[in-house]
Amino acid sequence: MNFLKLVQGVVGEENATSDRAICASYSRDQHWHFVPAKNPAFVVRPGDKEEVREVLVLANREKVPVVPYSTGINVRGLAIPVHEGSVLLDLSRMNRILEVNPEMKTATVEPGVTFGMLLEETRKHKLRPAFPDAPLTVSVLVNYYLRGIYQTSAADGHDHTLSYEMILPNGETLKTGSRSLSEMPYFRYGVGPDFTGVFSAHPGTCGVVTELTAKLYRLYDNRKVYFVGFDEVGAATKVIYNLMNDELAASIRLVDNQSWLKGICGTFDFPYEELPKFVLCVLVEGVDGIFEAKAKLVQEYLADSADLADSGGSGGRVLEFPEEFARTFEEESLGGAEKSCMVFGLQGRGNYHCIGLYGPLTLAAEYYALHEKTALEVGIPQDHVHFYIDPIYSFHGQLCYFELDVFYDGSEPGAGEKLRNYNAKQFQRLLDLGIYGWFRPYAGIIEPTVERIGHLAEVWKKFLRVLDPNEIMNRGKLL
Amino acid sequence: MGQEREEILSAIQHCVKCKLCSIANFHPAEEWQPLCPSGEFYGYQAFYAPGKLEIFREILEGGLTESSEGLLKSVYACTLCGACYEKCRQVTSVEMRLPELFEELRGELVRKGWSLSVHREIAEKIKETRNAYGERQKYRDGAKSTNENAEVLYFIGCTARYRVPEIADAMLEIFDKLGIKYQVLGEEWCCGSVLLRTGQVEAAKELVAHNSEVIKNSGAKTVVFTCPGCLNTFKKNYPELGVELVHSTQFLAGLGEGEGGSDGDESSGGGLEVKKLGMAVAYHDPCHLGRDLGIYEEPRAVLREVAGEKLKEMKREREQAWCCGSGGGVKSAFDEFALWCAGERVKEARAAGAEALVSACPFCKRNLKEAAEREAEEREETEKEGEEKEGKGMKIYDVVELVSKGLEGRRK
Repeated sequence: MNFLKLVQGVVGEENATSDRAICASYSRDQHWHFVPAKNPAFVVRPGDKEEVREVLVLANREKVPVVPYSTGINVRGLAIPVHEGSVLLDLSRMNRILEVNPEMKTATVEPGVTFGMLLEETRKHKLRPAFPDAPLTVSVLVNYYLRGIYQTSAADGHDHTLSYEMILPNGETLKTGSRSLSEMPYFRYGVGPDFTGVFSAHPGTCGVVTELTAKLYRLYDNRKVYFVGFDEVGAATKVIYNLMNDELAASIRLVDNQSWLKGICGTFDFPYEELPKFVLCVLVEGVDGIFEAKAKLVQEYLADSADLADSGGSGGRVLEFPEEFARTFEEESLGGAEKSCMVFGLQGRGNYHCIGLYGPLTLAAEYYALHEKTALEVGIPQDHVHFYIDPIYSFHGQLCYFELDVFYDGSEPGAGEKLRNYNAKQFQRLLDLGIYGWFRPYAGIIEPTVERIGHLAEVWKKFLRVLDPNEIMNRGKLL
Repeated sequence: MGQEREEILSAIQHCVKCKLCSIANFHPAEEWQPLCPSGEFYGYQAFYAPGKLEIFREILEGGLTESSEGLLKSVYACTLCGACYEKCRQVTSVEMRLPELFEELRGELVRKGWSLSVHREIAEKIKETRNAYGERQKYRDGAKSTNENAEVLYFIGCTARYRVPEIADAMLEIFDKLGIKYQVLGEEWCCGSVLLRTGQVEAAKELVAHNSEVIKNSGAKTVVFTCPGCLNTFKKNYPELGVELVHSTQFLAGLGEGEGGSDGDESSGGGLEVKKLGMAVAYHDPCHLGRDLGIYEEPRAVLREVAGEKLKEMKREREQAWCCGSGGGVKSAFDEFALWCAGERVKEARAAGAEALVSACPFCKRNLKEAAEREAEEREETEKEGEEKEGKGMKIYDVVELVSKGLEGRRK
């Protein structure tokens, strides 16, 4: 019996296909300048974890490569097949919120649950998930599993994943954290090493995660937003440091006035070019007394910052924006990115490229300078070059997420080549300058990175071989 | 190919696959509401706009060289409702023109001989009978022009002639009650919409030429349509005819113009003397009328004259209205999917507190009515099984039917 018939026997005829057109619709994502289009041979849509297990066992037996896929918002080529004859495991039917537990402040979800779906449920309990700066159509499970550090709310910190359940190619189920010991999946560190962490951040390479329990965070009624303008990155970092050091703000984002600020404010129609080049967006929230105290301290810091400017220092200027800008910032930071995705259409260009990375605030100005330098060297115009910083509590190591962005027209001849040249140079330069880590395993990033991590690379590969001896999962450059 | 290959590929490259096009605005209500009927029903990526664009790319680049069941279904089981385009444009301001791209994709498939037999049969029927349903009888023998030289011409359309004649009846009754002289065409042919929407562009040319000619010769100054599909086709695919093309709701709303409507609004429907019907109604935006032609306010203004404060808004409305499921050749080819879409809309109307769901399109009315009847039957069965009664079946109307019911004349 052929593979299609076998999997159709598991998931039903309507949920597995080798139709070329259906397969072609999964062949490419937004990272197509780097990861070429490739059709899976089969698309299979399991409805529950038992079907996932059976399909994996069949694929393992037949040595059919497997590419897990959640809700289809893939911007880095991570769900594009590498090998001929791959089966794409579309998990979007598995979209149940298995539990929202307001007492534990947790949610347990399947891979097809999006941030929008989850917030709709959690807000009934005045709770929310930690949001990535990605469209709220993305999968909660996959985003947390990719990496547990998110940035739209600095106060959420990192490591939002508590535990999960993963099915290995041989059909065995691994449960991480307290989930392995009991029916209580609410604690990350159960037995031995931090397995929740060990299996994270190399998506689709070990097995298929079918359930994940994540932290939820309070939604507060008291909120206040401030916008402060700066002419250069270095000056803004001083204010960011003060705010982070005292843990005062829920959301702190330094954006440039021509890209993400427009998204944060929710409109293209404003004279952004008249503003200082960088704008620090700060959101304070909390219960009554604490909120007021925080807001007072933030205002004092911002006033001090302005004084520094008056005395020839490097301070900022508090900006007066329309009220709806503050509301949009609140919604987008603490309710999921929707309007801010307007940056995809900056100047009608329609395409977006970024390198996201973790590093210390102390290097912020250098990351930005390097971004500009490399972009201009490879022929990317200055007005395509954008940047933002999101610091992350509890600020040990002055942890920040940095995004080096290029908004461009993907249909322009030569656009792809320029970006590939940019990446090749920039990966090396950033590694030379020093970073904490990459946000995503972007195409072309693994090779220069693995070169530098010594024996860890071999250990990593051996680890994957133990989990997946037939190498059916998508290991990319770690083969 | 209507559009150049490179131009189409360029448009395809602009999709960042964020899939925000598949949901209605999340903020500020923070409710997850699907917007793409075919994606929601069929599930595979091929049925969402980003996936369909990849299929089109694959065809243009020569990767797909044969037709398949999945290809035909993913391309044709799309109502071309344009909700994806409106949402994308609203967020990014990028003009993807998705419905036009998908029509172009269908045109490409037809040129390759990859079309649905049911759509080819419609083309045959039109060729033989000049209407999309292959009907040989005339609509209402008595429906004749009140004045052969009248300035107003009512273009009835195939669906109101042969499937939902109550809409045409109502429109004619309104003209009569208002004392408006009108023409109807003895030689009205199908407007060609169904052919153009299903990629059968060549077959539509003769229809466009004929209708253009007879309308030019009619001497009419205003052509009134109760079918937004016909109106959209006339506006988009016909040559300039030198006449005003208006939807029935625009025509009715415009009657107050310069005469002082009930609230002084020039397109308020305030020129009509209408008895309130005392029924809670929700207005369903037809895709061709709303997203294609931007007509959102006039139907509401006219309906407000009938329903007053009992006019309800559903959660998904105007640019982000959920499609009824009938358009783009879907009703004829994928009726189960079409009825599911309509059923979802009926549920939404009920949730809005409506007793009746009112549209301004014969396609919408027909499909919504079938879905409402099916739902009522299913509920009846449930009741027999002893479950709780959820209320009466949803009534389905066109705006002109309600106006006709309550119309007492022109407001003095």
